[in-house]
Amino acid sequence: MPDVDIREYLFTALEAASDSGATYVDVREVSTESQALATRGSAIEAVDHSESVGYGVRVVVGGAWGYAASARTGDDRTAVDVARRAVAVARASATALNQPVELVPEPGHVDEWSTPIERDPFDVSLEDKLQLLLALSEPLESSPDIRAGKATMDLIRSRTTFASTEGARIVQTILHSGAGMEATAIADGDAQSRSFPGSFRGHLAAGGFEVIEAMRLGDNVERVAAEAAALLTAPECPSGRFDLVLDGHQVMLQVHESVGHPTELDRVLGMEAAYAGTSWVSVPDLGNVRYGSEHVNITADGTIPGGLGTIRYDDEGVEVQRLDLIRDGILVGMQSSRETAAALGADRSNGTMRADGWENFPLIRMTNINLLPGEGSLEDLIADVDDGMYMATNKSWSIDDKRKNFQFGCEIAWQIKNGKLGRIYKNPRYTGITQDFWNSCDGVAGEREWYLWGTPNCGKGQPGQVMRVGHGTSPARFRGASVGIGE
Amino acid sequence: MTEGLEGEARRAIRSVLENAPADGVEIVSVSSDTGLTRFANSQIIQNTVRQEVRVYVRVVVGDRWATATTNQLDESHLRAALDGAIAAAKVSPPDPEFPGLAVPDDVGRPRPLRRFDQAVAACDPEGRASRVREMLKAVGHHNCAGYIETLAGAMTIVSTTGVDCSDAYTRGAIQCLVDTGNGTGWGESYSHALDEIDGVKAARAAAAKAEASNDPGDADPGIYEVVLEASAVATMLEYLSWVGFGAKSMIEGESFFTERKGRRVAIPAVTVLDDATDSRSIGVGFDLEGVPKQTVAVIDGGWASQPVTDLRTARQLGTTSTGHSTGSVEFGPYAANVVMSGGDHSLEDLVAAVPDGILVTRFHYVNVLDRPETLLTGMTRDGTFRIRNGEVAEAVNNFRFVQSALGALSAVRGIGDDARAFSEAYGSFVAPSLHIGEFHFASRTSH
Ligand SMILES: [Zn+2]
Repeated sequence: MPDVDIREYLFTALEAASDSGATYVDVREVSTESQALATRGSAIEAVDHSESVGYGVRVVVGGAWGYAASARTGDDRTAVDVARRAVAVARASATALNQPVELVPEPGHVDEWSTPIERDPFDVSLEDKLQLLLALSEPLESSPDIRAGKATMDLIRSRTTFASTEGARIVQTILHSGAGMEATAIADGDAQSRSFPGSFRGHLAAGGFEVIEAMRLGDNVERVAAEAAALLTAPECPSGRFDLVLDGHQVMLQVHESVGHPTELDRVLGMEAAYAGTSWVSVPDLGNVRYGSEHVNITADGTIPGGLGTIRYDDEGVEVQRLDLIRDGILVGMQSSRETAAALGADRSNGTMRADGWENFPLIRMTNINLLPGEGSLEDLIADVDDGMYMATNKSWSIDDKRKNFQFGCEIAWQIKNGKLGRIYKNPRYTGITQDFWNSCDGVAGEREWYLWGTPNCGKGQPGQVMRVGHGTSPARFRGASVGIGE
Repeated sequence: MTEGLEGEARRAIRSVLENAPADGVEIVSVSSDTGLTRFANSQIIQNTVRQEVRVYVRVVVGDRWATATTNQLDESHLRAALDGAIAAAKVSPPDPEFPGLAVPDDVGRPRPLRRFDQAVAACDPEGRASRVREMLKAVGHHNCAGYIETLAGAMTIVSTTGVDCSDAYTRGAIQCLVDTGNGTGWGESYSHALDEIDGVKAARAAAAKAEASNDPGDADPGIYEVVLEASAVATMLEYLSWVGFGAKSMIEGESFFTERKGRRVAIPAVTVLDDATDSRSIGVGFDLEGVPKQTVAVIDGGWASQPVTDLRTARQLGTTSTGHSTGSVEFGPYAANVVMSGGDHSLEDLVAAVPDGILVTRFHYVNVLDRPETLLTGMTRDGTFRIRNGEVAEAVNNFRFVQSALGALSAVRGIGDDARAFSEAYGSFVAPSLHIGEFHFASRTSH
């Protein structure tokens, strides 16, 4: 059995909660260190180093949940107090309870795990990191027609210690690294941006500084600036029915919003109804509902290396797994927790509970929701379109509270005429209904263009929690999509 | 929770500040004590209490600066944060636009608003649970979801340039969704004072809407005359503030102010202030740089009057800061105490003036399509009704809107007398119901 070093006060909290009447207790200490850097032109906009340490005690008392959290770690007296407060909270919960919490079993894992890395980004000097960013933002901002050239870098290391009354003893260290750049061209009240590798702070992945080095950011400066400038004089994207090819980055958001969220079992069961909403699918739909065409195969995979959802254990000590959500277009799985898994008739959670820091109660969160690669290339997808659009890089998103009606915007589109890319368009948008849209998918590009993207800003829950989740995608084609905003 | 920091923490901050080997240091402490009880499927499903503090340290070395953040308030952690920030500032490029730290003689010395209610601060888990039970009872057999939150917060800022201010505030929030299985309805209530948030009233409103929403009929997308209830208007104002009320987006050319400052952007009856002193506002009386929040008429009698600023953007514009710093150069200043002036029509009056239109209860998942144009998209939810001959008629399917916020404010035909505060997260937005002549629903969904 591995030797797992867990601070004593956490056991004090476990015992105090048990002694106060809790039938289940887990304690979770999280220590997070992060660095956020941002440059614009030759100036800095952010040079920040941040640390946060604290712990939460989660209990079940009388079949109801309670949670209390504190930043005062290491102290036994505080630990007892926090544990008792969690129990008092649960007793209050029990006064408005219909269905007592029952947790499906999970072995009490004893283990230590860390994100594999090649180069610790916190060991790279700040000068070198700022130089890397300035070498992007300076030439971007001095390019023709570019008003703002920005570059960002985000590094986040979280060490989580988890222990439960069922014997779990887990220490896990997750490291996320990322960077990106964006050029904004402005003229006559029109603002147009291009970014790389993706919008909203570039691209993040699990790993060390090697993640950033592999992006070849510098090679893309000229193209990014030129495309942003060209968008200013590009015509508006026309509206109407077109065959639509999406790049991997936009497929990421399409998967995230219209497959990832609606297959979260807490949403399906109504637990997020008031805020984020519910789902258009229900548990009896499993194995019965056609979610998309036979080209649509989607997994929830916390085990694949490098993703923002790649962990070994979730925040209730369940070992992460790889499961099919959609197989050959049929809905076959949902993301579950120890509380909700029984609703699927499952005897085990599939390990998707994660919390944003020590302050928050864990929720069902996407690990890496991946559209499995098909065959051929982006070029092949485009070659088989007579009259269509190729849209790249997500810019806006919105979807209804059952995850049916969606609208997305991208940074840029290219006309496709007779299998070839033509002129560019600005402000491309498309809209649709989840099931119809995935059913219109008639091609997903193959392994060679498949990439594990990161969505660093997924919001869920009340109080709001932000999670970093992964999506492996390659470009995909959708026939007869509604390009534009609708009517 | 007391106003600002207790003795030990304050002494630690003072000590770190006084001996700092830097040309300037600013320390901001933001603390909160929060209880949040969530319910769904008519039972409490998540229930948390937490105590948090974040300390933001900003150091100046010549014309360079850097920041560090910690959640540990002892002297050794504070000193480590300070030393780290100084080391980072020394290797950062110079910032010729850096406006310096706030100097109270120049920008004013903030006085606390003390919008603090002891009853919110003292509300315990049983106090929240009893309110949930009352709400569940009020909606009878219907399925019900939502939350009640009680938060007591405090902020303290001290700096080597003489800033020394503290303030404390509270927020109570209740949201309630009722789902009959065939329709949903919504109610919500926010205030700094516990006896002003009315969960039972919100629950009854949600139940009435849900019952009226049963089996929605079909309505086609298109341009409609609408009545937006206050919740929907508050969401629109929140996004409008985000895309255009801050001076940074104006300076960078991405705000409606860039091209339209001093021009008409709404009908003359529309005035939108940022006003932390309004009794319905929630939060403290100064910004993250320790500058007093001024009342700013952002849209004044329909004219695009002035954006809110922080020290940096005020310097760029040759003015003084209005006290709207977010502490982030990247994000820039933000108006978070938005107050839209109310009118003299009841909601019924607004509806009565519509021969054929749509009544919207609230919006869902709004996003920005075009910042200078203030073009937004999002969905309606939890109570979307046809208005026929001045009366609320049948429920209809939900719509996706694609609409310029300023375009909507330019088409206002009536303003409600029901302005109230909405505060889901950061800041507060006081909004009335609006009758709008033309509003674009671009597509629909099937529920
Ligand atoms: Zn999300």
